[in-house]
Amino acid sequence: MKKILLIEDEEIIIKLLGKKLSGIGYEVDLAMDGQEGINKMKESAPDLVLLDIVMPRKGGFEVMAEMKKDSALAKIPVIIISNSGQPLELEKAKKFGAVDWLVKTEFDPKEVVEKIREHLNPAD
Amino acid sequence: MIQASETKINNVPRPSRSAVAGGDGPAAEIARLSAQLADRDAELARLCGQRDAHVRELAAVKSQLEDAGSVLEVRVGAQTRELRKLTENLEKQIKERTRELQSKIEESENSRVALMNMLEDMEDLRRRTEEEKEKTLSIITNFADGLMFFDSNDRLALANSQIELYFGASKEDIKQVIGKRMADFSGIASFKPLAGLLGGALKKVSRKELFLSEKSVLEVSSLEVTGQRGKIGMLVIVHDISREKMVEKMKTEFVSIAAHQLRTPISAIKWTLRMVLDGDLGPITEEQRDFLEKTYKSNERMINLINDLLNVTRIEEGRHLYSLVVASMEELVHSLIGPYSDIAKQKNITINFDGPTEIVPQVKIDVEKMKLVVSNLIENALKYTPAGGGIFVSVGQEGGNAKVMVRDTGMGILEEQKDRIFTKYFRGSNAIRMETEGTGLGLFISKNIVETHGGKIWFVSQEGEGTTFSFVLPPADKGVQ
Repeated sequence: MKKILLIEDEEIIIKLLGKKLSGIGYEVDLAMDGQEGINKMKESAPDLVLLDIVMPRKGGFEVMAEMKKDSALAKIPVIIISNSGQPLELEKAKKFGAVDWLVKTEFDPKEVVEKIREHLNPAD
Repeated sequence: MIQASETKINNVPRPSRSAVAGGDGPAAEIARLSAQLADRDAELARLCGQRDAHVRELAAVKSQLEDAGSVLEVRVGAQTRELRKLTENLEKQIKERTRELQSKIEESENSRVALMNMLEDMEDLRRRTEEEKEKTLSIITNFADGLMFFDSNDRLALANSQIELYFGASKEDIKQVIGKRMADFSGIASFKPLAGLLGGALKKVSRKELFLSEKSVLEVSSLEVTGQRGKIGMLVIVHDISREKMVEKMKTEFVSIAAHQLRTPISAIKWTLRMVLDGDLGPITEEQRDFLEKTYKSNERMINLINDLLNVTRIEEGRHLYSLVVASMEELVHSLIGPYSDIAKQKNITINFDGPTEIVPQVKIDVEKMKLVVSNLIENALKYTPAGGGIFVSVGQEGGNAKVMVRDTGMGILEEQKDRIFTKYFRGSNAIRMETEGTGLGLFISKNIVETHGGKIWFVSQEGEGTTFSFVLPPADKGVQ
């Protein structure tokens, strides 16, 4: 069973997405801020991380910077889920190694699941 | 001398007669006396001869003297005459000169008076000119905007204190640039940005923004100053728009932040509704589904509105063109038609796409932004065309540019509103009646995007018959870089 770590401070979003993902058979771990996300990543070594950008304590970009420094974490694919989606932010995320960027208002949970599948099983 | 010779005569010893006669008889005595007399006569004759010689000599001397005298007299006379003549000449000349001098004095006196009059006039004129100059200078100095005046040789003649203030230039900097051409300004740090904007040749510009720092934005205009005899010089006007820029930026930032803040709860609503509708949170009744679908659509409209607002703020921040790639407008337009055909079918409107009949140049575009333009035009056509109508989308070329046309058989644009159609927040009054939803931002955003790509957008419309929106984009090698 593939393990997905959701790092997102918006309670409804994290709950909805968590429910959706576990409903279709993923093992889901939740973190409400960046720091908690880093800690959980180290504990459970997820197969994929869904990461918000604007969060308390530690933002998404800081999380990615820390992941990049840690060889074990650096390999985990990261999909950004954000309310923003400005070209400069996208560029920056790409530099940090994010595999995708989803703007929350443009996507819904179903489409997020499709993106996750795409990146977990690139051969499909 | 005559006296002497007489004395001599008296002293001459008497010759002895006795020796001749040899006896002392009377005859002897007479003989002796006669001899003596003869002696005396001879003597006298000799003396007379001598005297005559003397007289002659004297006469000669005298005549010599007389000759000399007369010569002298002649010479002196001549010289005297000459002298007199000279004197006369001199006197004449002096008189003439005096006359001349007098007339000259008179003349110069007249000239002096005339000169004085002229000087007075000049002084008057100078004073007036000085007053005018002072007036002009004080206007320039106290002018609220920064002013620089370049003479006909393009050299800086004067700069007011606002220039110092706006450019943070020292008095020394100003001194250094006076008399210099704009090309030489780049050597002075405080004037480098201005030189960059106006160029070495001091070109004419109108209201160009010069960004010095976050807190200092200037608006620069340069114009030719002409007088009766043609070009006098160039005037550079610098207006401080820092405050306006700051307010504008704050406003844009506010809209941007507000829109972003709105996105978080709106995406939460969207996701919740979607999951409920998808049955992820348990079964729902048909009635519930119906209401939730409608709520979902309302929420989508809100998302579109927020996206439009964000697009506008990005246009205003001047950062809406991001990644430019070479692309084909035919492909781009074609890819957008599909998603709209379902909506068209629902509204009973036909949507047609005509590919190019000739070669269309590739364009250099921000694909996402260009999709927004085409989508806006197609969506408008769909919104404002009644059932039974048609939409015709085509791609072609015009004058070497790529051209896209979206024609509809819709309600058209009212004649009196045609000039406002591309303005921000404007919506046609007939459009509002037909479709209450709408931000009035779509065409404003589209126009900005097309123009930022170096293109042009326009429309032809007949009320009640339909509208055709067209835009052209320059070929990739001539477009934005």
